[in-house]
Amino acid sequence: MTRRAVWESIVLAGVLLVQGCVAPQPSQDLLAPTEAQMKIRSVQTRAFDVKDRQLAMRGVIAALQDLGFIIERANEPLGLVTAARFAEPNFYDVLGVTVTVRPQAEGRMLIRANAIYNNKPIEDPKVYQNFFATLERSLFIAKE
Amino acid sequence: MRRALLAGACLVLSSQLAGCITHTQPEELFQLTAESPRNKAMQTRFFETKDETELLSASAAVLQDLGFQVEESVQDVGFLRATKERSAREYGQDIGRFFAFFLSLGKFIMPVDLHQRIAAMLIARPINPEATRQEVRIMFYRVVWKGDGQADRQHIPPGQQKMEMLRDPVMYQQFFAKLSKAVFLEAFTL
Repeated sequence: MTRRAVWESIVLAGVLLVQGCVAPQPSQDLLAPTEAQMKIRSVQTRAFDVKDRQLAMRGVIAALQDLGFIIERANEPLGLVTAARFAEPNFYDVLGVTVTVRPQAEGRMLIRANAIYNNKPIEDPKVYQNFFATLERSLFIAKE
Repeated sequence: MRRALLAGACLVLSSQLAGCITHTQPEELFQLTAESPRNKAMQTRFFETKDETELLSASAAVLQDLGFQVEESVQDVGFLRATKERSAREYGQDIGRFFAFFLSLGKFIMPVDLHQRIAAMLIARPINPEATRQEVRIMFYRVVWKGDGQADRQHIPPGQQKMEMLRDPVMYQQFFAKLSKAVFLEAFTL
C-alpha cells in the first residue's frame, strides 16, 4: 500500500514537472499596436517650428545639459541624442533619455523623447511636459 | 502594548521619510532647479570666434593635456566625451578605516575608495545666427569603486560603485584658462 502511494506521488510529481516545462505561448497580438502605445507616443512627441535639423539637435543637447544630463552619444545624420543623469541627491538611481529629431514637413521638426528610470520606461505625461517646456525655451533662445 | 504600537508607527513614519529624501521623482528631474543657472554659468564660457572646429580640436587637445582619453566625438553637433582612470586612494579614509577597526574591536573594516574614472563631456556651439560667437560648455563627473571590507562576520565584496557630478569651480576655471590659452582668445562669462 505504501509502495503504491510512493509510486503515485512520483507519477504526480513527474506530471507536474512536465507541465512546468511547457512554455506559455506568446499571443498573436504581442507586437500589435495597443491604444496605450499610441497614447504614450503622442505624449512623447512634439512638433517644433525649426527649419534646420542641426539647430534643433543643438537645442535638444543644450536643454539636456541645462537639466544636468550627461550626453553619452550623439548622431547627427540620424538626429539621435542619448543622455543620462543621476537622480540627485542620490547617485544610485539613473535616469536615461533618448531623443530623436526628424523633419516632419517644411520648416517643422518632430522631436520624440523616451525616458527610462532605472531601466523602467516612464509613462507619466508630466515628465515629458516638463522636458518639452525646457526644450521650448532652449530652442527659442537658440533662434534669436 | 500601546508604547510598542507608537514606537512601531514612529519607525514606519521615519523610514518613509527617509525614503522621501533619497528618491527624487522623475518629473522633478526634468525641471530646472535653483542651482541650474549657477551650474550653467560655472560650466560655460563664450569665445569670439567663427571657427567652431578649431575650438573643438583645441578643447580635445586641452583634455589630452589633462590626461584624458577622448572616447567619443561628433563634429556636426560639436560634441566630445573623454575619460581618465586614476587611483582614488585618500589617506583620510585609511585613517578613518583604522579608527573604525579599532573602536569596533576589530569587527568592522570599512571599505575605502580604490579606483575612479573621471569623465568630461564638452559641447561647442554657435550662439548667434552669424556664428561669430561660440559657447563652450563642459561637465565633469566621476565613478568611484570601493575596495572590500567586513562588517561583523559578513564580508563586504569589493567593487561597490559610487557616482557623482564634480562641481568644484576651480576645476572648471582651470580648464577654461587652458582652453583660452590654446586658442589665443579670451573666454567670456555671461
